[in-house]
Amino acid sequence: MNAPERSGGGVAALLGRPYKTFRLEWSSDLRLLRVRTCVRPIQCYSLAAMSELQLMLSDISANPGLVRHFVMTSDVPKVFNFGGDLALFVLLVRAGDVDSLKLYGRLCVDLVWWMENAAHQGIHTTVLVQGDTLGGGLESVLPFHKVIFERSAQAGFPEVLFNLFPGMGAWDFTIRKAGFAVANEMILSGRLYSADELFSRRLVDVVVDDGAGEAAIEQTLREVDPRMRGTLAALRAQRLAAPIRLETLQAIVDLWADAAMQLTDRDLRLMERLARAQARKAGGADEGAVEEIKRLELENAWGERRSGAERREEQGDRRTPTQS
Amino acid sequence: MLPFFAELVTATDEDRRAFETHPTVVAAVADGMSAERYRALLLELYHVVWHFNPVCAAAASRMGDAFAGLRYFLYEHMHEESGHEVWVRNDLEAVGVAPEATRAHAPSADTLALNGYNYWAADRRHPCSALGMLYALEVIASVYGGSFASAIRESLLLDGDRGVSFIDSHSTMDAQHMAELRKILNTLKDAAAQAAVVESVRVNFHHFTRIIEAV
Repeated sequence: MNAPERSGGGVAALLGRPYKTFRLEWSSDLRLLRVRTCVRPIQCYSLAAMSELQLMLSDISANPGLVRHFVMTSDVPKVFNFGGDLALFVLLVRAGDVDSLKLYGRLCVDLVWWMENAAHQGIHTTVLVQGDTLGGGLESVLPFHKVIFERSAQAGFPEVLFNLFPGMGAWDFTIRKAGFAVANEMILSGRLYSADELFSRRLVDVVVDDGAGEAAIEQTLREVDPRMRGTLAALRAQRLAAPIRLETLQAIVDLWADAAMQLTDRDLRLMERLARAQARKAGGADEGAVEEIKRLELENAWGERRSGAERREEQGDRRTPTQS
Repeated sequence: MLPFFAELVTATDEDRRAFETHPTVVAAVADGMSAERYRALLLELYHVVWHFNPVCAAAASRMGDAFAGLRYFLYEHMHEESGHEVWVRNDLEAVGVAPEATRAHAPSADTLALNGYNYWAADRRHPCSALGMLYALEVIASVYGGSFASAIRESLLLDGDRGVSFIDSHSTMDAQHMAELRKILNTLKDAAAQAAVVESVRVNFHHFTRIIEAV
């Protein structure tokens, strides 16, 4: 049975827009809206992707009661989302444009804030991650009510590797789901985590074998739908019990933008290296940003070991004259 | 209301992404290119750089006193860019193209279209359109130039700056230019001038993509 037409234009308006960065599927029996993202060739939160997502979420809000289930997946094989548009960051940092960086950050926060409040609109949200998700990509999945990862998916906050931090909800959402220690560990290390590691840290709700993600979505919908009112009421209460404030998210965006303005040329070159790795993978190479991050982690570790050894040598050199 | 630079970044983001995501550009930034294609690209680039200052001069000469600040900005910019075509020529020489061959090279239709548009826009559309050319070329240099230079250095096994001095140096030098360009663009309040800048950015990204695609 089709949902009735509503003041906001109903299903026709919701599905009728010509989106370029995702495609929508509607399932009327469950009133399920499925969003399949596909930002070519680098799957990231570009300005266009964000304005299209914002438009689509506004359409949902303009039709209260129309959507009951919101499911997001990626149409790009082995990648969920690489996060922020690194080339845009480099452009804005090089131009010294802190206002535009803040504007970009606030657009991201608007999206996670919509997800955070979805239960208040009578919507249950589910996300399936089947590939790499980095930085803003991981931030964007954390506010979903049900976070499902396929086993080979990897995620992390690599920003610290180029002297930045994830500024669009990582701290708040990671602390709420996994606790302060885990947030500290993940954000300050910059390392990548397997799906099982994220599950053991309570950041991911369900881990399934590769290829079983779709079945896990169906199972979630089957479980939630008959208990929808109770589930949403509980989730609203959960958000009251452990609230996240929009003002805090926005203040962190401002800190993030100020930190971005301090990036040196070396930091920007590292960011460009990651962007180049993303481009390489988009061009069909086996290795991409994840492998580049692992290389950066190794280089950092070697750098620390080497500088430690150099310090010890220097101390040894300084001691020598007094010992003799 | 957003400062004009922020509006420009937003209004032309799709054009920048269209350049960035073109398969030839993706492949060039990720893996570099063959020596033959790199030579062909530098030869086209030589003509873009050679005409850069004349376009700026044409625009500055047509700006009324209402745009005096922009005119001074163009003077300074021309001074800084003066002689940079020699860097391209030196890079070409480093990868096996003699200076005489560089000077004799006939630019492609895409390069002629880029330069032709920029002269025409400065003359007939709006002199401020030259700022759109500056923006597009500086974004290309400062955002993608560094990665491209690294990829070329690795793929052609070049030592240091040899053969990539123009692109590599502009990737960092244009960072300062970007900051200066943002400041001056934020002083631009005239709606027709702003529209001309936006159009110019779009056309420059479009033609530059075609140039890279053709080599």
